[in-house]
Amino acid sequence: MTTLLDPTSEQTPGTRERAPRPSTLEGRTIGLLDITKARGDVFLDRIAERLEGLGHTVVRFAKPTFTKPAPIDLRHEISTKCDVVIEALAD
Amino acid sequence: MTAVETRLPDGLVAIVKRECPTCTLVAPVLAELRAKHPGPVTIYSQDDPSFPETTGGAIDDRDLEVSFSLELDTVPTLLRVEGGRETARTVGWSRDHWAELTGISTLGAGLPEYRPGCGSRTQDPAIALAHATALGERTLRSRRLDLGAEEDDAEAMYERGWSDGLPLVPPTPARVVRMLTGTTRDSQEIVATIPPDLVDCTVEKVAINAVMAGCRPEYLPVVLAAVEAACTDEFNMHGLLATTWFSGPVIVVNGPITRAIGMNSGINALGPGNRANATIGRALQLVIRNVGGGRPGAVDRATLGQPGKYTCCFAEHEDAYWDTLHVERGYRPEQNTVTLFAGEGVRGVVDQLSRTPESLTRSFAACLRTTAHPKLPIAFDAMLIVTPDHLRVYEEAGWSKARFRAELGALLQIDGHEMVRGADGIEEGIPGSLADVTLPKFRDGGLLIAHAGGGAGLFSGIIGGWASGKMGSEPVTREVGS
Amino acid sequence: MHDIVNLEAAGLAGVFLASTEFIDAAAAQARALGADPAVVFVPHPIQDRTDDELRALADDALDAVLASITGSPPER
Repeated sequence: MTTLLDPTSEQTPGTRERAPRPSTLEGRTIGLLDITKARGDVFLDRIAERLEGLGHTVVRFAKPTFTKPAPIDLRHEISTKCDVVIEALAD
Repeated sequence: MTAVETRLPDGLVAIVKRECPTCTLVAPVLAELRAKHPGPVTIYSQDDPSFPETTGGAIDDRDLEVSFSLELDTVPTLLRVEGGRETARTVGWSRDHWAELTGISTLGAGLPEYRPGCGSRTQDPAIALAHATALGERTLRSRRLDLGAEEDDAEAMYERGWSDGLPLVPPTPARVVRMLTGTTRDSQEIVATIPPDLVDCTVEKVAINAVMAGCRPEYLPVVLAAVEAACTDEFNMHGLLATTWFSGPVIVVNGPITRAIGMNSGINALGPGNRANATIGRALQLVIRNVGGGRPGAVDRATLGQPGKYTCCFAEHEDAYWDTLHVERGYRPEQNTVTLFAGEGVRGVVDQLSRTPESLTRSFAACLRTTAHPKLPIAFDAMLIVTPDHLRVYEEAGWSKARFRAELGALLQIDGHEMVRGADGIEEGIPGSLADVTLPKFRDGGLLIAHAGGGAGLFSGIIGGWASGKMGSEPVTREVGS
Repeated sequence: MHDIVNLEAAGLAGVFLASTEFIDAAAAQARALGADPAVVFVPHPIQDRTDDELRALADDALDAVLASITGSPPER
């Protein structure tokens, strides 16, 4: 494990911060990213159904394999098409 | 670095190692001391606690804590301790010295009178370095970031926003401790208050950024001086960051230190290829962005920027015909200084035909006229870097630097009519009310003249400056400390 | 979890869903990545649930999911 000394003024926290949350999902596109473990699609289908029932725009994505991080193209596509993202379902 | 004091047991204390023939020689003597000495006899072993067998082994000092605290050079070392304090010490084997120290005259019958000792394990370079590093690391105060097992350290530094765009050297505690050996200043001393966030910056923080920039420890005093100079009110680093103009700090280093740390004043002095030039300038920029918070896009809103904002640092030729920048500014040649100037990019001056100083000076004047804008006098400063082939013209004609300045200044007196707004069909310029006035291109002190560059090439350089005066920046020179 | 962390770095609010078996591993991964992404856990097991049971798990998780990606309580 590598330890580094912080070169900054330390006025911000050390852990990478989360992106800001939108105050509402109205008008936002929600990405659903299936990590493609078995049964995850049924779970996400229901999440999608419920979100669409609330009037949201949902876009579905799937990783080619759950054993590796998503390919760059897929990540880029999600980040350009969506405002928020839900990734499921690891077990 | 001072050793940590360990309280010693009273009586006699010996430190030995199995690997030392003299320690083996005195092993029976230590047993004798146990038998004959009225007080306690405590023995430490640096490498094997089962040695010496004659005394049933010794106390394990393989971590060398006791040895370091006693600042040992040699084993065996024999000490007398009274009231927890060392009152006498002898190294190696000498019957006389051991007798004197212990008060027992009959020690070591059959042994030679004298035998020198061996080096203490604390003197092993690798061990000594590891110890100094560990001690040093304990004094560091900056927040530590433990990178995740899956994190690439180069990527992690980018992701945390520490980089100027180019890769960084990971600032591990060991590297920072090593960097701090380059200065005698205490690591927690405040160097300067860094704009724009007005953060008090310690020597340690500068060292961390200097490691990331790629500096060697011997560059650190120069970096520290540059940080101090940049953060003065006169230099106005805050204003320099916030302006949409693209000047950045240019560092000119003078004095014997430039040779000592291997800076470049010759071919490519302002270009790549020299570690000291490259990393000293970069370290200053990293301190400003990382400690001060002066990041591009945030406070730094330069319209175009310029590559010199990654780094711009060079050394002048020190024993040339003209006085150096720092001598002109009142320092002695043997003093080490940094001069900070708010500079834009470098442009070249071509003059391959002038054989007389008069002609060459007119070339310089013509080119200097156009810094910032040909119709804008006084408000902007500049630096002229005269290279060796051009300086030779002045040397052969016997023109001192002062004479050159005077002649150049006379040529840079400009008729107001040429500069008023609207003149030449150009709206930029000075107010019409100044049409009848003659104005100098540069304010007093607004033109710096330096000498650097390779020996071949009839090309000098101009670095345009930023606004001068209270709203702008004043060049600042600071002596380099230790 | 890499994906969520990367997408967060690109500015998207994200949440990662995992079964409760994954709680320790999720914490370890987050530490390893130097990040702190939003995670919602659903009760283990997953693999042998019926479709109806999975849909019920999704319904149960919805509030927490919405809360994690918005700055205000979830709509109903």
